Amino acid sequence: MNAIFWEISKRNIRLHMLRSSLAMLGIVIGVVAIVSMGILGNGMVMLVSDSLSSVGDSVIVMPYAGGGGMGMGGGGRTADLMLTEQNFQQIKRVVAPNLAVPVHSTSERMNVGVNSDDIIATVYGLPPDDVPDMLQLEAGSYNNQDSGCLVGTTFAKDHNVKVGSRISIGSDGQYGTLRVTGIIEERGMSFDISTDSAVVVTDKWFENTYDVNGQYDEVVVKVTNGDTATVKTTIEKQLNRNIKEKTVTVIDSKATLETIYETFGTITTFVSAIGGISMIVAGVSIFNIMMMSVNERVKEIGIMRSIGTRKRGVMTMFIYEAGIIGVCGSIAGGVLAVLAGYGISALMLQTTEYLVTVSNAITIFQGVAFGIVVCLACGIYPAWKAANLNPIDAIRHE
Amino acid sequence: MEPVIRFADVSKVYPLRAGDVTALSHVSFEVERGEFIAIMGPSGSGKSTLLNLMGCLDTPTSGDIFISGIRIQDMTDDELTDLRRDRIGFIFQYFNLFPLLNIIENVNFPQMMKAGEVVDETKAVEVLKSVHLEESLHTHTPLELSGGQQQRVAIARALINDPDILLCDEPTGNLDTKTGASIMNLMTELNKRGSTIIIVTHDPTIAAYTQRTIRIVDGRIA
Repeated sequence: MNAIFWEISKRNIRLHMLRSSLAMLGIVIGVVAIVSMGILGNGMVMLVSDSLSSVGDSVIVMPYAGGGGMGMGGGGRTADLMLTEQNFQQIKRVVAPNLAVPVHSTSERMNVGVNSDDIIATVYGLPPDDVPDMLQLEAGSYNNQDSGCLVGTTFAKDHNVKVGSRISIGSDGQYGTLRVTGIIEERGMSFDISTDSAVVVTDKWFENTYDVNGQYDEVVVKVTNGDTATVKTTIEKQLNRNIKEKTVTVIDSKATLETIYETFGTITTFVSAIGGISMIVAGVSIFNIMMMSVNERVKEIGIMRSIGTRKRGVMTMFIYEAGIIGVCGSIAGGVLAVLAGYGISALMLQTTEYLVTVSNAITIFQGVAFGIVVCLACGIYPAWKAANLNPIDAIRHE
Repeated sequence: MEPVIRFADVSKVYPLRAGDVTALSHVSFEVERGEFIAIMGPSGSGKSTLLNLMGCLDTPTSGDIFISGIRIQDMTDDELTDLRRDRIGFIFQYFNLFPLLNIIENVNFPQMMKAGEVVDETKAVEVLKSVHLEESLHTHTPLELSGGQQQRVAIARALINDPDILLCDEPTGNLDTKTGASIMNLMTELNKRGSTIIIVTHDPTIAAYTQRTIRIVDGRIA
């Protein structure tokens, strides 16, 4: 029975090709809107993820500033907003065996080479022994000497700095000259330290130069087992015993990352939902066309019913029709959406490297499936109406 | 032998806002297997209601209807549909073929409803031969055929499931006199081969082909 209804549905679509094509076009637009927005959203998440994922195993401890906030390194220095050596030792003890790295940071003027323009960049002071655990080099070697430094890859590119270059720190080189021993690999945006455009010196040089012995801007804890939440809780319990006077603000980078991903996920869903409006419009169009199809074929339905077609058979015929429009439109939409996603990614993200991914494949599948479901759903009422026509009235219908 | 149709005190009342309309009132009759009957009456007399009840497209308000010994009142919609498919062949004034299907598919349609799948064309070809339709027309669509040819296809479709009864609603009403006569000759031939045929008509020349006429006036058998 199904085969003949399938055949009738196909032929009816062919008979009304223009009308059916317009209905399909609506679905194509709907699927393209949803899927391409989804691909863009996925691309954004992956782009951010690539920039941030390297810091997902850190817990950052900063002096409590009376209301939280995420103060990345490199800001101004206020004596009462520093972590003490005692704070550091407490943190080191409670997080053991995880590595706790005390971080100094400041903004400083500097020059590269002779007669160069002043540069303002962040200077980080880190214990030389801990640097290999935090930073990877793309060139040169780690620095163990107070006369040497590392620079970030962006800094190196922007100011044409190479291994062996010399950087004068301070106005007119007042704090001396450091030799670049290595270029740090790109880390992207980070919660702990952002080294791409910065200079990394030894903690001793930093303390001697800025007279901040035993005062730290932050402490970065590298959590080896990935359980950053427990480490965060442990530090807070130990250092913020006095609820009224907190000592530190603790940031769990993994939790923060998750929040960022969730936010991007929400944005993607929202943008896709806007695309979904076009799918609703397409659904209304399908509904309209199916109702037209039913109204045009009332007599035919009456004859079918009178010569032995059950209600279910009539319903099947119209569901097939909506299904054919839905499947063809959605698949065409899926294919076009990949092209649209490619274009949008290239235009807005400046890269298409995130196009072929599992999440995009899922997005395309979901978009196509949604298109088909919308078509079938919009075909159900017309099909039900057709199936429940009174055969006597239907036969008389002109 | 059980009559193919038995009406026992059948009434049909249509409830309307303006008041109930009695289309049929206490009608009783029987149709024996192999009969060729005309049902005649003026417009509004209840002919169509009677045809709908005999065709199991409607159920009576009161009384009993038996088709091939089966009481139809308490049947579900699906059961009535299957009964129409298996026991009754419909022939309409306007042929009512499916324009999207070719001739063979049109004829095979009730068979496919019965089998639940596509069936081979052997029987359809055979039945089309019995109604004298040229084989070269089998793959044409209905709109490519003349009125008389279309009605022959409709008759073949009605015969395909070997029904107990052929119900014809003005089968020559849309044909010229000559074609109408050839269709009635075919009906006569089918009756001679054993088909039970009931024709609803208001044309006495058509009724003249039949063996018996049931006249209906104001919802009653006259």
